[in-house]
Amino acid sequence: MIAIQHEDVDIGALVRNAKEHGTGAVVVFDGIVRDDDIRQIELEAYEEVAVPELRKIAREASEKFRLLHVDIVHRIGRLDIGENILVIVVSAGHRKEAYEGSRFIIEAIKAGVPIWKKELTKQGGRWVPGEHPHGSGQPGYHIS
Amino acid sequence: MTATIRFFARFRELLGTDIQAPVEAGATLTGLVRRIAKQNSEGYEAIFDESGNFREFVIIMKNGKRIERGAAGITLVSDNDEIAVFPPVAGG
Repeated sequence: MIAIQHEDVDIGALVRNAKEHGTGAVVVFDGIVRDDDIRQIELEAYEEVAVPELRKIAREASEKFRLLHVDIVHRIGRLDIGENILVIVVSAGHRKEAYEGSRFIIEAIKAGVPIWKKELTKQGGRWVPGEHPHGSGQPGYHIS
Repeated sequence: MTATIRFFARFRELLGTDIQAPVEAGATLTGLVRRIAKQNSEGYEAIFDESGNFREFVIIMKNGKRIERGAAGITLVSDNDEIAVFPPVAGG
């Protein structure tokens, strides 16, 4: 499942579905809205570009780390503290590939998928700066 | 001819999005975005430097494909093109 959506996702169901034949490890990354003295967070995506980018990242990770299954669900809209922002579920034959594949996917998303977040505070709001402000913060750029 | 300009994140807040812009023959991507951005001085300054060039961190796409900042000034805009302009991404 590769999706950008407002709704939350059933992580348990994703894990059950990730157990393809040959699976020896499932790794779940769950990115959460952190309480940084904010009220909420608001996420926005250029969906027509972001979804194909997520699919491309999933394909690359599958090939590079011999993953058996990949789910990426990135939420948009307003989220409260403690809510899921991004869920990545990968399965592989062994833990090393599963951990490395999961890490590859989250870093690639942060580097190049057109999604933005704004922290909503009591004073107003502030856009979160990208981790790759120059050059690399662009669609199509992946950590290798 | 008409093109659609889509701004995202802070640029969207300042300039709006899904803007239908008339395009003259020979119009460049930089020229078109400059013209639209001039409707709000804060929005213009967020995207362009003092020389009228895209700021270093600004990302530009045409029909879903990235256009290098240096090439935007010679990239022509055609009817029904979709131009996207946005700041560095910050998902995850």
